[in-house]
Amino acid sequence: MTERGKSLPTIALEELAGCAGELLVILENLDQLLPFARVLRFRFGQSRNDTGPVDISFVEGSVSQPHDLETLKLIRQRSKMVIAVGNCAVWGCVQGSCAQKYPVPEMLRKVYGDDTHIDSLPSAGIDNYIKVDAKLSGCPINATQLLAVAASALRGHLPYVIQKPVCLECKYKENVCVLVEQGLPCLGPVTAAGCGALCPSLGAACYGCWGVCEAPQIDAMTSTLTDKGYKYEEVRSRLTTFGGSEKLFGRDETSAAGASCITAE
Amino acid sequence: MTELEKKTIKIAEVTRVEGHSAVHVEITDGQVTDVKMEVTEGKRFFERMLLGHQFSEMPHLTSRICAICSAGHVLAAIHSVERASGITVSETTRLFRLLMQMGMFIESHATHIYALALPDFVGAQDVADLATRFQAKFIEWTKLRSLGAAIQTTVGGRPFHPVNLHVGGLSHYPSVAQLEPLLAQLKEYQQIAVDLCELLLGFAPPVRRTTDPCYMALIPPDGEYGYMGDRVKASDGWEDSIDNYKEYLGEKVLPYSHAKQSNARGKSLMVGSLARLALFGDRLGRMAKPLYEKSPIASGDTNTIWNNLAQALELVDAIEQSIAIIGKLKSTPYQIDLHDPRKQSIKAGSATGATECPRGTLYHHFVLDDSGKIMEADIVTPTAQNVGRMEVDIREVVQQAKDPTAAEVRDHLETLLRAYDPCNTCATHMVSISYR
Repeated sequence: MTERGKSLPTIALEELAGCAGELLVILENLDQLLPFARVLRFRFGQSRNDTGPVDISFVEGSVSQPHDLETLKLIRQRSKMVIAVGNCAVWGCVQGSCAQKYPVPEMLRKVYGDDTHIDSLPSAGIDNYIKVDAKLSGCPINATQLLAVAASALRGHLPYVIQKPVCLECKYKENVCVLVEQGLPCLGPVTAAGCGALCPSLGAACYGCWGVCEAPQIDAMTSTLTDKGYKYEEVRSRLTTFGGSEKLFGRDETSAAGASCITAE
Repeated sequence: MTELEKKTIKIAEVTRVEGHSAVHVEITDGQVTDVKMEVTEGKRFFERMLLGHQFSEMPHLTSRICAICSAGHVLAAIHSVERASGITVSETTRLFRLLMQMGMFIESHATHIYALALPDFVGAQDVADLATRFQAKFIEWTKLRSLGAAIQTTVGGRPFHPVNLHVGGLSHYPSVAQLEPLLAQLKEYQQIAVDLCELLLGFAPPVRRTTDPCYMALIPPDGEYGYMGDRVKASDGWEDSIDNYKEYLGEKVLPYSHAKQSNARGKSLMVGSLARLALFGDRLGRMAKPLYEKSPIASGDTNTIWNNLAQALELVDAIEQSIAIIGKLKSTPYQIDLHDPRKQSIKAGSATGATECPRGTLYHHFVLDDSGKIMEADIVTPTAQNVGRMEVDIREVVQQAKDPTAAEVRDHLETLLRAYDPCNTCATHMVSISYR
């Protein structure tokens, strides 16, 4: 290794339970990261993996079993900065919403039989268990956002991640509103931006895959959709699928349940 | 009595594959006595999660099982719902879906071959090493996977977890002008895929299994090579409708693994590129067929490692098919679907949907009520079907080794498993159970 290579900041790309989408985005943009960082751990992409101290760990996936939790604690111990990437790590994503609704032991027995030895935990985002320095949501994450976050972090800054609603991006694009004009069940008003208003730009309703935005107006969203004839239980189910907590319903909407993107020390 | 000599091989973390898995082999007095392929990926209970959701959410929810084959999950889910509810779509929608599928094959195969498998054959450590010491190969990968991603982004809205494909059609039909840059790239990069086949043809597999698997794949319609179909065929001549998949795919729960193991009527089966080529290789297109004919696969060699070559042959064919699909879309006016897919109405019913994914046949089975709510869900993924055969392969390769505990054997086992292109997140989350 060159002297320059040794002096570069180090990064680790870690995966817990997820679809590997974030690792795929990282793998596809690896050539843009390699000049600025040395990759210590990336089990998906490389054979030699170092378990020593590292500057920044990017963690994808939710905690879904005791083994994930052990791994996560080790990651925290060896990292100066931990960045949650993707909805699984930030919110628990679809498996987190499932674990909110159904008891895990019952699901385990049903899938693997009554005498199963398999251990499981209700899937959840990683900041339920460790301190997380920055969160980048998205299912999958947006490559441009990832590189911006990585660039800040590699300079030792806490990254800024936009948490405004998708509607903001949609208005910039001058799209026809699919919710107001076309009556589609668009979740853009309560979903975090970052995708560039992808679904409405293609004439489809946003289904919330970035998780909720800051201070989401869940009750207003719910009544707007039920007024348009969508069933309450359907609306509630769609709102919680990609990371909205059940706790968001029926509360005073001024509280910042959207969770700020930066948890600085 | 002499004490039996016991040896073990352990791979705690199989690297450069998708998801988490480990291998454990026990050898007693020179005989392999135990092989365990442990899939240790955390469980996400997808089939439970789907219940109660609307049919229209199935493509979006099931794609989250796996990023790299997300388009496959989307297509299988749509296939199942449309068959269950008797929905038919326009030729234009059918062509765009096929193009999407080709994009997935190009991206997935290119990524597996170059970034995960090729380092073993050119003597690189991994993809980062490939990027520094074999830069030309790294750039080839970048071009091909960007092409696959561009196709999927144009049709689906983003490189994976597509948002534009729905039950009943597309919410937005990409214009012919949007297809032109894809066409130009497809033509430009075709030769890279051909050269990749030539390169892989030159690599001798470091190990080989000693028995043949039972190959299985969907029968593509109209005598063409392809990845859709309502019937399956196996290498022993057997055929059946996908509707009977629960009867012909046996399954068992293993105490040591989070993935269930499937078998084909009791035989250990293999699905994926090598299986498809062994069954339908003579149907390949003009570009891929001569390459296939001079390959060991055409002469009946069933070595697992040739699955890498089989993927490269499919890559060539997928590029050729994509060019043909775009040609058809350009030459005929678009037909718009009868019903707006965004406001699709639904009838109660149940059906199986299936599609070939890069790693093999994927099954989705849904039961819908008359409001379009999912009442039962069952999904069987390709890797779940392959895991049983992976264990057989490990056994056969270790049994032949002079010194089973040599470091070289471990490396070769990883190369062998990597050739399957296993997807452990799929295998785990797709444990097959009917949830009611």
